[in-house]
Parts: sequence; structure tokens; C-alpha cells
Amino acid sequence: MDINVIYNVEHEIHIGTPIALYFYLTGLSAGSFIISTFAYGFGMIKYKPLGKIGVVMATLLLVIAPMILLIDLAQPLRFWHLILYLRITSPITWGTFLLSLYPINCMIYGYFMFKGDLKRTKIFGLIGIPLALMVHGYTGFILALGKARVLWNTAIMPPIFLVSAMVSGLAMMILVVIIKDYFIQRGKEHDPTLIYGLSKLLVASIVLDLILIGIDLSVLLTSHTEAYIAALMLLKGSFSHLFLGVEVFIGALVPLFLLLFPLTKRWVPAIAIASVLTMIGILAMRYIMVVGGLSIPLS
Amino acid sequence: MKKNSIEKKRYAMVIDLRRCIGCHTCSVACKAENRVPLGVYRSWVKIIEKGNYPNISRHFLPTLCNQCDHPPCVINCPVQATWKLEDGIVIIDEHRCIGCKYCLASCPYNARHINPLIPIVQKCYFCHHRVNAGLEPACVEACPARARIFGDLNNPQGEVAKLLSKLPFQVLKPEMGTYPQVYYIGADLDAMDPFAGRKGWI
Repeated sequence: MDINVIYNVEHEIHIGTPIALYFYLTGLSAGSFIISTFAYGFGMIKYKPLGKIGVVMATLLLVIAPMILLIDLAQPLRFWHLILYLRITSPITWGTFLLSLYPINCMIYGYFMFKGDLKRTKIFGLIGIPLALMVHGYTGFILALGKARVLWNTAIMPPIFLVSAMVSGLAMMILVVIIKDYFIQRGKEHDPTLIYGLSKLLVASIVLDLILIGIDLSVLLTSHTEAYIAALMLLKGSFSHLFLGVEVFIGALVPLFLLLFPLTKRWVPAIAIASVLTMIGILAMRYIMVVGGLSIPLS
Repeated sequence: MKKNSIEKKRYAMVIDLRRCIGCHTCSVACKAENRVPLGVYRSWVKIIEKGNYPNISRHFLPTLCNQCDHPPCVINCPVQATWKLEDGIVIIDEHRCIGCKYCLASCPYNARHINPLIPIVQKCYFCHHRVNAGLEPACVEACPARARIFGDLNNPQGEVAKLLSKLPFQVLKPEMGTYPQVYYIGADLDAMDPFAGRKGWI
């Protein structure tokens, strides 16, 4: 039977690239913070050179990220309402407090680290880990609790966000180390085992990310009509190039190949390329989730 | 049932699609009453056509905020700028809204919009200013076919309660658990389905 829609109204949702970018930056920040605690919180000596870079990146990114949120508000000057009139059921309210506490903790942690006070560094590093997980996990909740959008409203959204944060954070740290070793301190001697160690972790987190994406997709494909349509949108619809091409192929499979293939896995330029591709892939994932999720019609 | 819940008002709307003629008078009345800017609507009439000649039919679906009993927009608003009144109407404090647009993303009915002139979120609120003054919402009063019936659901003698007790009715997206308070009599499934008539859309 032919059905034609003669007239309908669809309101434009002005949420898009800035919010996707915000999710991306908090992910990078949480990832680099956790990497920085490898040495100073858990005592893995191998990762000691990453401690200071990690905490500086985490703090800087978390200063930029809420700015994007403020600019994205329709009434940016009313931001203080978030603290005065908070509603505890809203994930944005959780974010208000997490986004204030987490950078403060990062700064204290960094201060003690640069001062050389290892005991206090460890304490604030360990306090920071749940904060870093929550500051990025809550962004997953923002999407998961938006129950009108079928692509968002899934319990696996916070774990996917955490794992992809780890992926992008590790990739960024590899790039930072490569830039530091091969460009800034070119004359000095350096040890590539650190990069190899990070690339192993990157492989593990990319695989975990792919598994979670696969779980999400398989449930979408077998769930109710709207979920099925959302899955088709990712697999062969308007977002398929971005999802299959950029997120899965360029952002996960190609880096996995580069990091596992015997000829390239010890070759630093290949690791650098893999890291750049991974970061692009995660950015695409954020964009697909936010913009793709909103593009599914409701009326 | 609590004792005072019988006395408490619970405003609801019944849209009798056996009467609707698809004239868009409700949309126009709403625009005029609430000064809704160009490009956005608080109430509109979705129209679909289905079938093959000569067996064809046209169906209407007047759409507005459902004033849900469990509104996701209220749960998700971070600044308490939107809440449910005692009488069941969900309203927005336009001076408190920060425009984070999370309610727009949470509403399953596409009922909320950003006002293009003043950057603030707005939606249908059953013409609360008119209801407070003892009048009916503008769309109800303007409807020439009397397809929209507005009233107190808790008043057993009211027309809303009578219609809903006697006739089979539908609500939009009951699976969302929002308990919408706009009831449709004789609504067409394809008109209520966002994906019907969008074969090419994926």
C-alpha cells in the first residue's frame, strides 16, 4: 500500500558538531588522565614519562571542553542557573559538578606531581580516576537518558563512551610521545619501548571498542522497528559512509592492521599513522552518535 | 486512590479524528494566540494519503505537546525551567531556561522548539493563560468541526471523561512510558507512525 506524507512539521534540533566535539574532548581528557596515573597512581615505572604530559593535557582539554558547552547554550549568560536551580535527575546537573571538581583535582594532582611530592600525587591520582571515569561516563548518560532517540537510549552507551575515551586518549598520548621524542627532543636518546607498550594497550582498547559496537548493533538490529531502522541507517543509510568507512574501517581496522602486522608494528611512523586514524575514527563516532541519533524522525 | 485526587484537576485533550477535516484552523489559531514565530509550530496537523486509486484515504493527525504524566523533558531539564503544574500542564519558565536543548532531544513527540527570535525553548502549554481565565485553549475554541475537546479528566461529568469511558482511543508512542494526556479517537496507525510514508528514509 502506498503511503505518502502530505504535510508534517519537524523541528530542527540545534544540537550538533559542538556537542560532538565536547564529548570528544572530555574523552581525550579522561583518557590522558588515566594514562598519567599509570605511573603516579599505580606505580608502573615504564609509563613515568607520561605522567606530567598526561596531567597537563587532561587539564587543558577540560578547560576548553566546557567552553564549547557554554557557547552552545542558547542563553550562555544564564549558565549560573545550572548551580542555583539544579535538578538532580538530569545528567547535565551531574556534569555541572563533575566538570567543576575534575579540573580542580587535575590541577592539585599536577601541582603535587611537579613539586615532586609522590605520596600526595598518588592520593589525588587515585581520587581522580573515578572522577575521570564519571566525567566521561556522564556524557554517555546524557545520550542514554535522552529516551526519545533510539540510537542513544541504550544501557551500553556509557561503557562505549568510556572505552572509546580510552582509545582516543591512548592514541593522543602516543602522538604526544612521538612528537616529544622525535621533534622536540630530537638530539636526546629515547626509548621506543614506551611507544610499543602504549600501542599494545591501544590494540586492546580498539578491540574492546569494536566488540561493544558490535553488541550495540546486533541488539539494534533485532530490537523494535525504530531500532532496526537506526541500525540500517548506520549500515546502509545516510551515515553508512561515516560509520563503516571512517569509524570502523579507517578508525579501527586499518590501525589494528598497522599495529599488529609484523612489518609495521615496531615502525614508529606506522604507529603514528595508526594513532591519527584512531583519533579521526573516534571523532567520527561522536559525530554519528550525536547528529545521527538526532536525525531519526519522531513525528 | 488518594482522597484529594478526585477533586484535583487533570486537564486533558481528546482529539476526535472522526470529525477532523484537516483544515489547519487549530494551527493558525495557535499561531495567533501565542504569537508563534515563522518556521516553528506548537500545534500542527500531519496529513497522510494512502492506498491506490480508487481505494484511497486521507488521514489527519493534529499534533501538540502531550502534557505527559511522566515527562522526559522535565526529568532531563538541568535547571528546573520546565515542570508539571498541579493541574497536569507542563509549563516552561522562559526566564530560567538556559537553552541547553536537552529537552528538545528528550521529547519523543517533537513538541518543543527553539524560538528563532528570542533564543528560548517553547512548546504548547494548553493555553494555560486562557484556561486560568476559564476559557478553552485557542485551538479547541477555533476548531470548526469540534474535533478537539478539552477538559478535566477527573470530572466524571465532563465531556473528556465521558468520551474516554465510552470510546476506544489511542495515544502516541505509549511504549515510551510517558503517559501522554492527549487522546486520539479513530487515529490511523500509519499517521501515528513516524516511518510510514518514508520508504526512502534510512
